Amino acid sequence: MKPIQEMNQAELAAFVQEHLRAREIEVVLSGGAVVGIYSDGKYVSKDIDLVNAQFVERHRIESAMQEIGFIPVGRHFEHPNSDQIIEFPTGPLSLGSDKVTQINEIMMETGILRTLSPTDCVKDRLSHYFHWGDQQCLVQAKLVAANHLIDFNDVRKWSMREGKGDAYEEIKEDIE
Amino acid sequence: MLLETLFGSKNRERILIYLQARDEGYAREIARFYNTDYYPIYNQLAKLEAGGVIVSRKVGRTIVFQFNPRYALLAELRALLEKALSFYPENLQEQLIRNRRRPRRRGKPE
Repeated sequence: MKPIQEMNQAELAAFVQEHLRAREIEVVLSGGAVVGIYSDGKYVSKDIDLVNAQFVERHRIESAMQEIGFIPVGRHFEHPNSDQIIEFPTGPLSLGSDKVTQINEIMMETGILRTLSPTDCVKDRLSHYFHWGDQQCLVQAKLVAANHLIDFNDVRKWSMREGKGDAYEEIKEDIE
Repeated sequence: MLLETLFGSKNRERILIYLQARDEGYAREIARFYNTDYYPIYNQLAKLEAGGVIVSRKVGRTIVFQFNPRYALLAELRALLEKALSFYPENLQEQLIRNRRRPRRRGKPE
């Protein structure tokens, strides 16, 4: 197995997921790290958000993470051989009020990486832009959209359900 | 209290009702409003934030909390809280709503 210090972000996320999976803890990669995967590395996040979609007790995650050398620091985990920060946001795995139904599986050298689809990744980034005005997240959504086939009709309908239909109309020419 | 059985904590109900009425608040302000101790309120705010129900931002030296617009059950939770608020004693409703910061359409009674 590749040493942790040589793993890139996606490989590390897959490695952690595999380790947790062996202990019947399923988590899904979400947040900025997904942008890194779908933008061919044009965006790099320092955080790995693994959504605890099955509401596993924190102490089980902590002991599993400690087995592979991760140390709990507040609400996140750090490893002495990595500058990545791993967090386990509480589920459900959702995009606003919508439940995430499609999980993509990507085979990595270190294990299977379960993550959001490119279309859901775009929604996730747009959600930050819509609710917090985070321009960086809009840029990230555009990066993913430029590199992958996105179901924009689905994104538009979701934006409307989020009460952000007008906001989507304002940016759709830039992103579609 | 009305939702204490569901939420498992009197202070959690107090916080959520406060945020429902006023959209945002900070620990000391909420504790002062209910004439209760600061730390139990702060602890519940921290738990609600860790669970993704609310989010915080720094305003100067104050940590201000509000509902997380990305929380999956937000619409349902707020509908429940709005109904619960309508069952509160009128004087408490008035105190909560008197200072509500939500923008109000011009001409609507304060």
